[in-house]
Amino acid sequence: MLDPVSIALKFAFLGVLYLFLLWVARSVLRDLGRTARGTAATGAGAPPVAFRSPDATGMHTASGPPLSDGAAPRLIVEAMSGVAPGMEYDLVDEAVLGRGEVEIHLEDPFASGRHAQITRQGNTVVLEDLGSTNGTYLNEDLLTGPSPLHAGDTIRIGDTRFTFET
Amino acid sequence: MTERNRELFALIPASLLVTAGFAAVFIQRDDAVSDVSLTYGAVFLALCVAVHIVLRLKLPNADPYLFPLVAVLACFGLVMIYRIDDTLAREQAQWFVVGLVAFAATVIGLGDHRKLERYRYVIALTGIVLLLLPRVPGIGQQVNGAYLSVNLGPVSFQPSELAKIAIVVFLASYLRDTRQMLVQGARRVGGVTLPPIKHLGPLLAVWGLAMLLLVFIRDLGSSLMFFGGFLALIYVATNRLSFAAIGLALFAGGTWFFASTVGHVQDRVATWRDPFDDRLYDQAGGSYQIAQAIFAQADGGLFGEGFAQSVLNPPEGPPLLPAADTDLIYAVITNELGLFGAVALLCIYLLVVERGFKTALLATDSFSKLLATGLTAVFALQVFVIVGGVTKLIPLTGVTLPFISYGGSSIVANFILLALLLLISERARAEAKEAR
Repeated sequence: MLDPVSIALKFAFLGVLYLFLLWVARSVLRDLGRTARGTAATGAGAPPVAFRSPDATGMHTASGPPLSDGAAPRLIVEAMSGVAPGMEYDLVDEAVLGRGEVEIHLEDPFASGRHAQITRQGNTVVLEDLGSTNGTYLNEDLLTGPSPLHAGDTIRIGDTRFTFET
Repeated sequence: MTERNRELFALIPASLLVTAGFAAVFIQRDDAVSDVSLTYGAVFLALCVAVHIVLRLKLPNADPYLFPLVAVLACFGLVMIYRIDDTLAREQAQWFVVGLVAFAATVIGLGDHRKLERYRYVIALTGIVLLLLPRVPGIGQQVNGAYLSVNLGPVSFQPSELAKIAIVVFLASYLRDTRQMLVQGARRVGGVTLPPIKHLGPLLAVWGLAMLLLVFIRDLGSSLMFFGGFLALIYVATNRLSFAAIGLALFAGGTWFFASTVGHVQDRVATWRDPFDDRLYDQAGGSYQIAQAIFAQADGGLFGEGFAQSVLNPPEGPPLLPAADTDLIYAVITNELGLFGAVALLCIYLLVVERGFKTALLATDSFSKLLATGLTAVFALQVFVIVGGVTKLIPLTGVTLPFISYGGSSIVANFILLALLLLISERARAEAKEAR
């Protein structure tokens, strides 16, 4: 039985379906283009999860040995690749965190070469993001500008987490 | 347009499709244009808008395309199952509502997918128990030689649907911790990076599990789905193609061995290789099903026979397409909507997968990234396994076509999977927006 209405409905179904697909595909393509430009602008050439072969030797170039008398401001490792939780980094006056040759070396694929900086200004300690690709999180909020640290604050870069203590 | 308005807008074509589809089926069946199809379209739209409002409130930044795409898939399922059997369609519609509720409950109740990481061993254990449940005497049920479903009184469900989510959650959190270790000490031999022997352990363990699955539930499709998902995860986690290649080689070897020893798998492979063989065609549980599926698809042509036009149950003799509502629903769709309809359907799946991987790209922590990758990979592989089976690219197995096939557990589990993807997407996109 070839009912014209039925045939019309079939083509209407296919028509609506393809229009829908075209619309979604167009929006999705535009979305993809935008991200490609966005990453190019921030200079992140590295694939997101893939990481360079880790060189174990560059692991512990921290600022000063992890010793503490309990009064100085310090970072306590909560989660960090290659470092046991509970280890502490003393913050002397200025420390850069990142994947490159910096004071606190992070073996974390989400960290930029020079990712964030912690500076002592008198009695306050200030955390600042150095234009990293994936951002620095203070108490799980994305850091937008320099921000003072308080005892008990958590700092997260990628999968690495520290607690700040004084 | 903001994300959520885009989503709302995209739901309109979805409900138009429901209306058009039901109208066409009604005309074929009763020779009358009925306004009931409009009601169905309106109810469908109302349900989707209700879920859309939940998303608007809880996940304002989440991916706007995933939900409408899935709504269109569900629309295909409802129309096609209604066309095959009214009572099944009524049940399917109920399961669709249950699925939407499960989706909303996951979005509201879980809130943050990273909570799952804390319970990873419990989740892993649940997944394995679920997988083995169909072999428990009394409640397990053997369908066509494979142990895939469980019968609990009136409800029968396929636990492997839920297990796939549990196992991906576990693997994502496990690989997040161990991926660094897996790569260290890798050696390059003749230009190929080989993992150190001692770190092949996890790979071998999961391979063993997949093989065990093959022996226990005797289903090549689910085994391929789980192991493929694992390989995708390990490739993303380590960026080492050699891991995936070794895994694939192991899997191929293992399946070849079992295909030639386990009876049920052996039959499936034989019917796949030669479905038109007279002996196999007439044999019970032989190649009748796959051969009919191929005929049905060829018969569809470019634009198909039209809704409700294909003959599934002739007045006498066995049904022309066995399991038309579950395994072979793709063949029915191809028959009635033709190549154009089938390609559109595959494009929808492709777009869902694209949005899933996009979510993984945007995520800023390993667990979210791996979870999004794993869920998307398993979803894509499930579509591949069943569509590949129906088109005779690989041996046919009893995996459901996500969101379309008849089956409560499939719909509910896939809606939970979608909810997890949207939760990941919400965080990732909110952070990307903030950084801009």
